[in-house]
Amino acid sequence: MQVEISGLHKVYPGGVHALQGIDLTIPPGIFGLLGPNGSGKTTLMRILATLLEPTSGEVRVGGHDVRKEKAEVRELLGYLPEDFGFYPNLSAYEMLDYLALLCRINDRKERQARIEQALQRVNLSQVAGQRVGTFSGGMKRRLGIAQAILNNPAILIMDEPTSGLDPEERVRLRNLLAELAGDRVVILSTHIVNDIATIGQHLAIIREGVCLFSGKLPDLLGPLRGRTWIIDIEEDELGRVREEYFVTGVFRSATGMQVRALAETMTHPRGYAAEPTLDDAYVVTMKQEAPAREAA
Amino acid sequence: MRRPELTGVAPLFARECWIALRAPAFWAVAGACALLAVWRATGPGATAAIAAYRTCEFMIIGLGVVAVFLAGSAAGRDRRTGAEQLVLAKPEGSAPLVVVMRFCALWLSLVAIALIALAAASLSQIVFARTPWQVHPYVHALARAVLPIGMAAALGFCLSTIFHTPLASAVAAVYWIVIPLSRPHIAMAFDLTLSQHRVVAALLTAFLVALASALYARSIRDRGASSGRLMWVTAVLLVGVGVSAYQVATSGEDVLTGPDPVLAAMASQSIHSDPRAPGFWLADQSGRLVGMSDFAGRPVLLAFWGPAVSDSAQVLPALGSMSKEFGPRGLACIAISVDRDPATLSPFVGEAGPGVAMLWDRGRHFGEGTYEVDSPMAVAYDITALPAMFLLDRDRRVVMQAPTELSAEWLRRQVRRIVER
Repeated sequence: MQVEISGLHKVYPGGVHALQGIDLTIPPGIFGLLGPNGSGKTTLMRILATLLEPTSGEVRVGGHDVRKEKAEVRELLGYLPEDFGFYPNLSAYEMLDYLALLCRINDRKERQARIEQALQRVNLSQVAGQRVGTFSGGMKRRLGIAQAILNNPAILIMDEPTSGLDPEERVRLRNLLAELAGDRVVILSTHIVNDIATIGQHLAIIREGVCLFSGKLPDLLGPLRGRTWIIDIEEDELGRVREEYFVTGVFRSATGMQVRALAETMTHPRGYAAEPTLDDAYVVTMKQEAPAREAA
Repeated sequence: MRRPELTGVAPLFARECWIALRAPAFWAVAGACALLAVWRATGPGATAAIAAYRTCEFMIIGLGVVAVFLAGSAAGRDRRTGAEQLVLAKPEGSAPLVVVMRFCALWLSLVAIALIALAAASLSQIVFARTPWQVHPYVHALARAVLPIGMAAALGFCLSTIFHTPLASAVAAVYWIVIPLSRPHIAMAFDLTLSQHRVVAALLTAFLVALASALYARSIRDRGASSGRLMWVTAVLLVGVGVSAYQVATSGEDVLTGPDPVLAAMASQSIHSDPRAPGFWLADQSGRLVGMSDFAGRPVLLAFWGPAVSDSAQVLPALGSMSKEFGPRGLACIAISVDRDPATLSPFVGEAGPGVAMLWDRGRHFGEGTYEVDSPMAVAYDITALPAMFLLDRDRRVVMQAPTELSAEWLRRQVRRIVER
């Protein structure tokens, strides 16, 4: 089971070119889609979820074309959009029950078991009978995750699943996603780099509708190995260090300030070698010129 | 697109009904309708029949307008609540059958509101007017209202799906009011409560719902109302408001603003406005409801009489002899008794013989005034005195209205002409 995207373009009415020739192969496991806001992540996810028609290009989900075989694709999918709501007058259980019926889980006992399991996984069993209208943002997000995993999907698409979650729930979600991955494809879009760093096996970085990198995390970090440094600096040194090095992050510690920097060699007396992180790689990738691409 | 498996249809429909009933709007509208029904049912001179018809009238116009909005809201429920993407990404999320089920659940909830209103009208009649409990006028009123309410809902549902804006529902609502406010001939042409218009209304409802369900899946890819479309909808809305304001300002003695809206509304069903006779649905001796459709394709000899009007019972033996002579050749004979109490016609049953359908319409005979008879059927047939007799051909056209003084031979000639046609 995998997702294949080739030459994907999406132009919205009004001429906004949201995706400009995306080519990706997404294998089983957790796949992180990184990019700033407005980079085209949500558009790509909506196309995968059969909610938007691509302008051109081909997208196959589990071998099925998203344009021609929508019903088959939807059978395989669990989708959590970035912005969503529920019917406020229904309880969490009733809402999931309705959505489970739309997933063709017609057997009452099976439906009940799936709903209870999903609610338990997102830690909402205690409030199953409560009206969704009374839920907090984080609870709604968790209920959204529950509805996405109801039909035991082979491909799970989650658009910004961690936004609005408290740190404990965020860790819980990462664990859940790690547990769900395996032979499933879990596509996770986020602009929070750390979400991907901890659980992502494969990732792609998108900017302005163009894919800047796609591959495994070590492949992204490899070129930075031996070029990444941490420098302990005084506050007034920051400007000079920025001029001299490519700074990927500035931190404040108990003893003073630290910067993470990229350079072939380190001449600063308080600079020492460090392991590259996804943050470093992301900042470097974002500074790249967009690769040459075909016209849409 | 694959259809939901049969095992999934019933629970899905049950959930749709449950969602419709859980909406606060449902209970708010039901409460408001019940209060209005009590107010309308306890006005001066309101009999059970009048109460039922007054309730029916505001259900068709008032609840019709509300139905347009509720249906618009139901069609846009996913968009309004933000659940659109969750629902549409599910395998059955945009299945036409699911959309149809959503509409049917809404229609059912509107019928439930109508039932609540009629129950409130009936209870208030019993409590305040001390009238004996009557079921048939209310059943009749409900039967008249079900289809128009459904069609109003279908209009709102379809327009909201096409245009993606509540403004579209507002357009339908305005025109729903404009039509009955129009000149009588326009009001009549669109009077969906007339039984002869029911086929058209049912077909139109089915078409609108089918169109909405076909467009539902497509519409997600074209989210939000474009400014051009909004401008069109607003323009049509403004024209509708203008026309309705003009109608109100100039209506004078028109349908809804006449001295008695119920009688005026009933009069709009007068036989003079349509070549075909108004349909009906009345209780027979055993309480079974009999409709004009039970005699479809047959010529009908229809007589109105009242036990309280002593010489009107003379039509019964005449009907009996016509039934005996022409019954085997297809003639249907119906005697409608107009009285407050169905029991008063029992002694007369033998006079007509077994071939005559003895039905009862609740009403009174005044003896004086413009309308001497106030039953709904009498008003619909524009009868000012009892007895009255109508001969309808096989297409339900009124071919003869018999004079009060009957000549048996003359009647036989008329009936033979129609039966042999």
